[in-house]
Amino acid sequence: MESLPYAIETVNLTKRYGIFTALSRLNLRVEKSVVYGLLGPNGAGKTTLIKLLLGLLKPTEGDAYVLGERMPDKDILSEVGYMPQDTALYLNLTVRQNIELYGEIFGLSKKRITERTEELLGFINLEKWKDELVSNLSGGMKHRVSLACSMVHSPQLLLLDEPTVGIDPELRASFWDYFGLIKEKGVTILLTTHYMDEAARCDKVGLLRQGNLIAEGTPEEIIRISNTKSLEEAFLIFAKRNART
Amino acid sequence: MSVRRTLSIARRTFRELRNDKRTLALMFVAPVIAMFVFGIAFSGDVRDVRVVVVNDDKGFRDPGTNITVSISKDIISNLKDDILTLEYVEDVEDGIHRVENGEAYGVIIFPKHFTRDLYKRIRNPSFLKNAIIKVKLDKSNVNVANAIIKNVSDAVIETMRKAGSESPIILDTDNPIYGENAEFMDFFVPGIMSYVVFFLTALLTLITFVGERTSGNLERLLSTPLKEAEIVFGYAIAFSIIGTLQTIILLAIGITVFNIMIVGNIILAFVVIALLAIVSLSLGILLSSLAKREAQAIQFLPFIVLPTFLLAGIFWPLEAIPSWIRPASYLIPPTYSVNACRSVMLRGWGLEKIWTDIAALVGFASVFLIAAIWSLKRKA
Repeated sequence: MESLPYAIETVNLTKRYGIFTALSRLNLRVEKSVVYGLLGPNGAGKTTLIKLLLGLLKPTEGDAYVLGERMPDKDILSEVGYMPQDTALYLNLTVRQNIELYGEIFGLSKKRITERTEELLGFINLEKWKDELVSNLSGGMKHRVSLACSMVHSPQLLLLDEPTVGIDPELRASFWDYFGLIKEKGVTILLTTHYMDEAARCDKVGLLRQGNLIAEGTPEEIIRISNTKSLEEAFLIFAKRNART
Repeated sequence: MSVRRTLSIARRTFRELRNDKRTLALMFVAPVIAMFVFGIAFSGDVRDVRVVVVNDDKGFRDPGTNITVSISKDIISNLKDDILTLEYVEDVEDGIHRVENGEAYGVIIFPKHFTRDLYKRIRNPSFLKNAIIKVKLDKSNVNVANAIIKNVSDAVIETMRKAGSESPIILDTDNPIYGENAEFMDFFVPGIMSYVVFFLTALLTLITFVGERTSGNLERLLSTPLKEAEIVFGYAIAFSIIGTLQTIILLAIGITVFNIMIVGNIILAFVVIALLAIVSLSLGILLSSLAKREAQAIQFLPFIVLPTFLLAGIFWPLEAIPSWIRPASYLIPPTYSVNACRSVMLRGWGLEKIWTDIAALVGFASVFLIAAIWSLKRKA
């Protein structure tokens, strides 16, 4: 398929588990080189969407395209970085070994793996802990290692499922600076978050509720359309409207 | 399929093991303990069996030499004292009472005219009365009872041979075709090699894979270009190497401590065990897809342990298993590895003779590997 201008595109993407509809006819387009924030309560379908995009789940209906390729497509995953909600790390490997493992899986050269590991250890501020087993780290530290693992191969698209949970405000701020930096280099980031201040820093946000995209736009647009003063209020307004329909 | 990605999974398994001393101990200390425990406990010989002797034999004065002889005493002296612990009583009832009270496993009774009747029977074939040794046994323990019977029988043959009165028929079992000087441990070690590798590999893969699933690591791996087959083959490489290392340890103990015999090409035995490890890890991956938590995975262990323990020919030959259940033995992969290792180590057989066992293991490995890959590919 010819490359689309979108990093992500879904066409009527639907996922049902028995009678429960996790995602309903979702049509989403995420342009390249943007930070797209998915907002929504637990069970809204955010994680299901990410797993469908990665080909980890089979859609009930519809299609998902990632970097122009119809999913599932294993080859395109070499350009995608995924940070799951669970830290999903090998507890009996050290911080460095976890990052290096993903470098090896993504086919980086030994030299490149070493370079990237050092860079990322600096970014997540865990140089001192690099030879510590992950099992000995705090929850927040594990999240930082998990983020580093998803970025070791310098992907074009990052899918981050609640990347800043359990991370202190100072480090969160540095993460967002970093996201801004890699976005400038052409990287697209789709992330889920519960933090409204983080959502406000996204180029575009989508509000998901019960598997439906109930609103989408820049944070300013969302606030303006809902005639509210914050994204939080806007979300509540859209949720109420959606509940009535 | 990428060799590099496959190897990265194999390397990760070794790195994790190196950092996880407890699992490392399970993989390499458990086989050592199993070898010693089974090797010592299952030496195959019954020893120190308490037996009561009632010797009423008065002996026999040979009119030619005028010397009184007692064959019963000769027989008693030929009983092996490391197997039978003898206690003498005067009265038969007293001896039987001891067996009834569990103080002994049997009573060996020599009647009053034992030697006399024996002499008369030997010298005059028309003399119809046999010399009889009565052995009253507690047969509730068949192994022990058989050991007593065999020991008394051997002692009788030995006594008669020394007395120059051998049986006209001699059963010559010298120079066996295979397994000269073989003992129970020689029979047992090839079995325990298969058992340890099969059990530990299945256990570790099962628990590791349930962990991979519950921790989200498996999903994360599958969200990379890594293919399901590369994950399974990565594990296969790691566990076949671990299985071979375990076998080396077991054989080292078998040779140095238990002095086992190896007459064939041991490399063939390593190949067989590596194949068994692949079968076992595939089974572990398959079963892991049925468990949601580690605790559930543990519930599968009896299904791995018991059939292997009872039906694979590790402790007793397949011929000792009732014929109606014997077909089940051929559905258990270790049956083939036990047979192949035994044939290589004790009979010195080569590939040309054990190929059917290897083919069966390759068949099991292929089917289980494909099923394991399929179980990883299955998506909700």
